[in-house]
Amino acid sequence: MTEKTATVAARIADELASCGVKLVASLPDNWLMDVIKTIEHDVRFTHVPVNREESAIGLCSGAYMGAMGSAALMGASGFMTVIYALTKINYTYEIPLFLMATLRGAVGDHHKHHISNGLYLRPVLDAISMPYQIIEKPDDLGLISRCYHHTRTFSRPMVVLFTRDLLRGGH
Amino acid sequence: MNYVECFRAIARHRTDEIVITSAGNSGQAWWAATRDSVASFYLDASMSLSTMFASGLALAQPDLKIWAFMGDGAFAMNPGMLMVERQMNLPNLTHFLVSNRVYGATSNAGLPNAAHNDYAAIARAFGLERVFAFRDLATLERDFPALKTANAPGHTFVVLEVEPFSDAEQKLEQPPFDGPELKFRFGRHVESLTGCDIFGYRI
Repeated sequence: MTEKTATVAARIADELASCGVKLVASLPDNWLMDVIKTIEHDVRFTHVPVNREESAIGLCSGAYMGAMGSAALMGASGFMTVIYALTKINYTYEIPLFLMATLRGAVGDHHKHHISNGLYLRPVLDAISMPYQIIEKPDDLGLISRCYHHTRTFSRPMVVLFTRDLLRGGH
Repeated sequence: MNYVECFRAIARHRTDEIVITSAGNSGQAWWAATRDSVASFYLDASMSLSTMFASGLALAQPDLKIWAFMGDGAFAMNPGMLMVERQMNLPNLTHFLVSNRVYGATSNAGLPNAAHNDYAAIARAFGLERVFAFRDLATLERDFPALKTANAPGHTFVVLEVEPFSDAEQKLEQPPFDGPELKFRFGRHVESLTGCDIFGYRI
C-alpha cells in the first residue's frame, strides 16, 4: 500500500462511515485490496467477506430491512454476475443498495482478459436502467456519499465505479 | 413428511420469530400455514439468497430471532453461503433447509445428485455445530423446542426432509403481495418491534 493508495482507501472508508454504513460485504479485486484491508481493520465497520457477489446483494438488502447501512464492494466481473439478484430483490421490492465496483477494461487496465468488462459493463448498467457514477480522482470521492444518499432517497440500487488510476495511484 | 404439514408444525412452535421464505414452494407453504402478512418476508424474487438476506437482518437486529427457509434447489445454487453463515455465526439466525430433493417450484424437476446429498453433513463440514435434521412430524414435534433453546451459541441449521408438493399443493396460493407492499408491511413491523428507523432516511 502506497501513501497515495492508503489515503484514497481511508477517504473511501470515511465517506462510507459518514453515510452511516456499518456493514461492508466484499469480494476481492486486486485494485480493491487496499480498500478492503482498510475497511477490515476499521472498527466502524463489520466487514463480511462473502463467497460470491450475489451473497453480498442478499446480505446488504437484508441489512437494509433491519435499518443498518451497508455497502457491497466487488470487481467488475463480479458485478456482471449479480444482475439477477439486483433486478429480482432490489427492483422487485424497491430495496435500496449501494455498490462499489472497479471500472475494469477501461483505458489503463493492464489485463487484457477484462476486455469483456470494457465492452459490456456500462451497456449492461444502461440496459437495466441502473445509475452509476465513475470516480477517477481523489477530489471526487465526496461523490460516494452523494450516491449513497441517492440510493436511499429513490429506493434503488446504484453503483460507484472506481478507475485504476484512482485505486492504484495512477501508475 | 408432508411439506405443508411440516410447516404447520413449525408454525405451532413459533412465538416471536421473524420469518424469511425463499423462491420456490416455501413461501406458498408458509402462507398456507400462517397467513402471516407482517412478520414474514416472502422473498420469492430470489434464488438462493433468503438466508443471506436473513443474515443481514439478523446482524442488523440482534434482538430479533430470524427463521429463514430455503429449498435444496436454492441451496444447490449457492452452497457456499454456509461459509458466510458459519463465519458470521449469528446466534439469532436459524436456517431451515427444506429438502424435497427436487426443484419444487418448477414442477418438481430433477435436482442434481438428489439421492445422495447429505445436507447435514455438508453443514458440519463447513464447521456448523448446531445442526438438526427431521424426517418425520412426531420427531419434529418432540425435538423442535431443543433447537429453539434461548441463548444457544451460534447459528442453527435445520434440515427438513419433506415430500415434494403434490399437483394440488403446487396450486396453493402464492402470498398475494407486490414487492413494495411487502417491504413496507414487513419493515413497519420490524420498526415497531425494535424502534429502528428503516424508512425515515433523511440526508
